[in-house]
Amino acid sequence: MKRFLKMYGVEQKLFFRTPDVIIFNLAMPLVALILISMIAGEKEAAVSGLTYLQSSYVALSTVGICCSAFMSIPISIVEYRSQGVLRRMYCSPCSPARLLACDTIASGVMAVVSTIILTVAAVVFFGYRMEGNFLLYMGGWMLTMLSMFSIGLMVASVCRTTKSMNVATSVLYFPMLLFSGATIPAEIFPKGLRFLADIMPLGVGINLLKSLSRGYYEDIFSKVCVLAVICVICSGISIKTFRWE
Amino acid sequence: MSKTPVINVTELKKSFGGRRVVDGLSFEIEKGEVFGLLGHNGAGKSTTIDLMLGLKEPDEGQAKIFEKDAAKNRREVFEKVGVQLQQTQYQSSITVEEACIEYGSLYENSADYNELLSQFGLLQFKKSRVAKLSGGERQKLSVVLALIGNPEIVFLDELTTGLDVVARREVWRTLKDLKARGLTIFLTTHYMEEAQALCDRLFIIKSGREVVSGTVEEVIKKSGKRNLEEAYLYYMGEEELL
Repeated sequence: MKRFLKMYGVEQKLFFRTPDVIIFNLAMPLVALILISMIAGEKEAAVSGLTYLQSSYVALSTVGICCSAFMSIPISIVEYRSQGVLRRMYCSPCSPARLLACDTIASGVMAVVSTIILTVAAVVFFGYRMEGNFLLYMGGWMLTMLSMFSIGLMVASVCRTTKSMNVATSVLYFPMLLFSGATIPAEIFPKGLRFLADIMPLGVGINLLKSLSRGYYEDIFSKVCVLAVICVICSGISIKTFRWE
Repeated sequence: MSKTPVINVTELKKSFGGRRVVDGLSFEIEKGEVFGLLGHNGAGKSTTIDLMLGLKEPDEGQAKIFEKDAAKNRREVFEKVGVQLQQTQYQSSITVEEACIEYGSLYENSADYNELLSQFGLLQFKKSRVAKLSGGERQKLSVVLALIGNPEIVFLDELTTGLDVVARREVWRTLKDLKARGLTIFLTTHYMEEAQALCDRLFIIKSGREVVSGTVEEVIKKSGKRNLEEAYLYYMGEEELL
C-alpha cells in the first residue's frame, strides 16, 4: 500500500504540472460559472424549474469529469504505451496495471478538485444552495464519473496509436463538452440539439444530477440504469481489449 | 570457482510473419559474468532479450532466469533482474527524483536512490526534469533505474547507442564498477571496442543464428584476424569492407 501511494503521489503531481489539465479541468468550469452567474444567474433556465446558476453549477460540476475521462485518461495511457513506459513497468515485480490504476485515480482526483473549487465559488460568491440531498448528489456524481471513465478507458484500450486516440478523444471530448449541456446550458438549445444532449452519456449524467439537485427523484431510475450499463459494458470492453504494448 | 549458470537459454526460436528472427539460440550465463550479445541491426538481439524477459513468447525452446520462466514468475524473477530497454521514454514532466521514487516503488527492497544518483554523478540533477537531461545523463539514469531494485542481473539493451565518446566512456566506467561488485550483466551493443572493454564473453549472431561465441581472445583467434572489429566483419561475411 505504501508503495502504491508513492507511485500515486508522483502521478498526481504530474497532473498538477500539466497545463491542459489546469486550464480545461480546473479553470474552465470556474470561468464559465462566473460568466453565466453574472450574466443570467437568477433567471430561470427555460422551464426547468432551475435558475441558470442552479442549472450551470450542476452542469459545470461534470466538466472535470469530462476532461479527465475523455482527455487525461486516454491521452496518458496511450502515451505510456507508445513511450514504452508500460513495457518497462512490465519488466518489474509489479504489473503495469498498478500504473494505470494510479493514473486513473489521479484523474479522478483532478475531477474532484475541479468540482470542489466550483462548489466553493458557487456557494460562497453566488449564494448557491442545493435543494436536494447533497449526499445523494455526490453518489450520482460518482456514478457519472465512473461511467464516463469507463468510456475513456475503453478508448485507451481500443486505440492502438496516438493518432487514432487523438481522433477518438476529439470526437468524444468536444461534442460532450459543448453539446451535452456541460458548458453551454442545455436549456437554451433548440429541440434537436436538446434531444442530442439528452441521449449523450454525459447528458444522461447531467440530467440525473439536475434531478438530484432539485430533490426530484421520480425519473432517476432509468438514468442510473443507463449509466451503470455503460459502466459495465465499457469497463468490460476495456479490460478485454487492453494491451500494454 | 564453481560455475552456476543464472541464465539458461535453449534452442530459442521466434518468427514474425513467417520470418525467423531468432533461430535456435542456446547459451548459458554464469553468475558475475558480463555477457555481450552482438549482431547487426535486425539480427534478433532485442527479440532475444524480449523472449528472455517474457515480453514475447517463444515459438520453441525456452529461456530461464534463475531456473524460472520470466513470463510465468514475473514477481520472483524481476525482484532480482533489472532492465534497461531500448527506446524507453519517461513521462513528459517527471523529474529525476520522481522517476526514482516511481521505479523504486515497484520493488520490495529498493536501493537508496540518492546513493545511486551520486554514484552515477546525477545527484545535482535530482530536481531536474528527465526530459531536460542530455543523452548520456538519461542513459545513466536508466542504469540507475535498472539498479534501483538491487538486482543480481541487469539487462542493458544498446545502452550506449547514440552517445558521444565521453558519455560512452562514463557509462563504461559505471558498468565496470557494477561488474567489480559481482553483478551479472547481459548487454547488447554495436560497438566492438565496448564489447572488448566490458565483456567476459561474446555471443555473435547473424539473422537470428549463432555465428561464434567465446571470450574476446577466442573470438579473434578463431577468425585469424588482428582485432575484434575485423573479426566481427569476418564473421558477418563483410570481409570486402576490410
